[in-house]
Amino acid sequence: MERIDEVRHRIPRNAQAGMKTDVLFFASDPILAHVRKDKALQQAMNVACLPGIVGPSLAMPDIHQGYGFPIGGVAAMDWRHGVVSPGGVGYDINCGVRLLRTNLEAGQVRVKLRELIDRIFADVPCGVGGQGHLKITEKQLNQVLEQGAPWMVEQGYGTLSDTLRCEERGCLREAAAGAVSARAKERGRPQIGTLGSGNHFLEIQYVERVEQPAAAGDFGLEEGQVVVLIHSGSRGLGHQVCTDFLSTMGAAMKRYGITLPDRQLACVPVQSPEGRSYLQAMRAAANFAWANRQAMLHFLRGSFAQVFGKRAQLDLVYDVCHNIAKREKHRWEGREVDVLVHRKGATRAFPPRHAEIPAEYRASGQPVLIPGSMGTASWVLAGRDGAMLESFGSVCHGAGRLLSRNAAKAGRDARQVQKELEARGILVRSETRDGIVEEVPEAYKDVDEVIDVVHRAGLAAKVARLRPLGVIKG
Amino acid sequence: MEPFEVLDHTADMGFRARGTTLEELFENAALALIHTALDASRAAAYAPRQLTAGGEAREELLVNWLNEVLYLLDAERFVPARFEAIWFDGDSVFAQIIGERRDDQRHPPRIVVKAATYHQLRVEEHNGQWEAEVCLDI
Repeated sequence: MERIDEVRHRIPRNAQAGMKTDVLFFASDPILAHVRKDKALQQAMNVACLPGIVGPSLAMPDIHQGYGFPIGGVAAMDWRHGVVSPGGVGYDINCGVRLLRTNLEAGQVRVKLRELIDRIFADVPCGVGGQGHLKITEKQLNQVLEQGAPWMVEQGYGTLSDTLRCEERGCLREAAAGAVSARAKERGRPQIGTLGSGNHFLEIQYVERVEQPAAAGDFGLEEGQVVVLIHSGSRGLGHQVCTDFLSTMGAAMKRYGITLPDRQLACVPVQSPEGRSYLQAMRAAANFAWANRQAMLHFLRGSFAQVFGKRAQLDLVYDVCHNIAKREKHRWEGREVDVLVHRKGATRAFPPRHAEIPAEYRASGQPVLIPGSMGTASWVLAGRDGAMLESFGSVCHGAGRLLSRNAAKAGRDARQVQKELEARGILVRSETRDGIVEEVPEAYKDVDEVIDVVHRAGLAAKVARLRPLGVIKG
Repeated sequence: MEPFEVLDHTADMGFRARGTTLEELFENAALALIHTALDASRAAAYAPRQLTAGGEAREELLVNWLNEVLYLLDAERFVPARFEAIWFDGDSVFAQIIGERRDDQRHPPRIVVKAATYHQLRVEEHNGQWEAEVCLDI
């Protein structure tokens, strides 16, 4: 590995047979030391072997070992001659984050925190057992798959301005419900409007510190203000779409003469029938996820109104996806390229003036939402020009795991973790005991260190640091 | 011999399952997956189900089999109490299962398993002893 500067490292393409490009890794020295312990960088090297990759295989500072693709990886594939890989999107298609701002201050919420958390826990189902409150028909599900968050709004779950503040306005076009298997629909339909488990959560937070007042002002954020962060995805529907396509792609790869170091990297040409079909299904699953987060926002508004009365407001700041493949135009080495950007545990971070950003944020850059681990800090960033120059408009997506779930559980008791967090003023409610211990703050890298790297690298700028008051987990 | 043990993986979770026959290995792998997702210790042997999966290579067959079991839990909301019979025919595996409808009170959920993956997948036989390692996406 070559050190380029304090936050950039390169693994040259001659490091391993089959690599078509370099790996560019954004990391500080302490992060580098951590990441070297697992196989994440080897996985980033495997991604560099994929046919049609444009630019380097990118590794963000929150990178950790995934299955096939590393989590925290970005790969841009040539739209005409490259491949699409379901593993480069992940099982949780359009896993993402939505940030809501309130007109309440931390003090007002603290005095009613327990009541609020209990209310939300009842109103927003975690669905670990697999079912939520929302019942939709098969026909409605097909509409969700093609229309995303705007469909939910049409049914009365939210307002038009909610969808305007989502990446892609909460709906990827060219989604096809018909490309999603009956099994994926069956698995996902009862789960709409549910949070999920694992690292998914809903956090009541407050703005602890504003780093960039102008951007914070544009995003409607100020110190002391209470905000809510929802981290969730496409539930069983997206998982099944990924499973379905991975199971059929093995045979298709043989037909296209593609051989890879890891079956989990399975891919087919973007322009093949299998590739097109996967993209249609993936977009449909992404739309399901946006509708899912929109439904949860609606439930949350109900919870806040119950506890604080009608004066409580919840406005959407932004909604980003961090497991997705999207067709985008970029400039690379002086020419315009048409690429399918795979973001596996990575967030889009478009800079100021970009046409894809809502008009009210265009001066500041796209809001980038980075959830930290349970009970630590989360960040709001703004996309910077550096991201367009170096990382196909992408940055990190979280703190990045450090400990396995087992290691996190070892010697820890859910009640004790809950008490420790309570002593720090953070209430936690979880549907399962494991949900708490597996996600202890110690299981993750220091989110501030991760954010510092992308800030110093000029990919995104710090806008505000958020601190939790209450956590709801599956 | 433990039928299965849980393995470490930074982001996710895995298990190592064993069996004296391939049938037993598949059963124990299914039990490991079910154990990860929920507590099935109180599942009643009430209703029969059939399960089938296909796959050319043994590894592929195991992943497809586990994803079928997951589908049974997550979509069909059925909890196996017992695997009555597992058999192989050509590229397919078949199972006769008995269990009951999933109920969160009786079968407390542990964690949502998204899928069984091909990542670091291993199925091997040594001296009549089968062993498999599987990573689950959590």
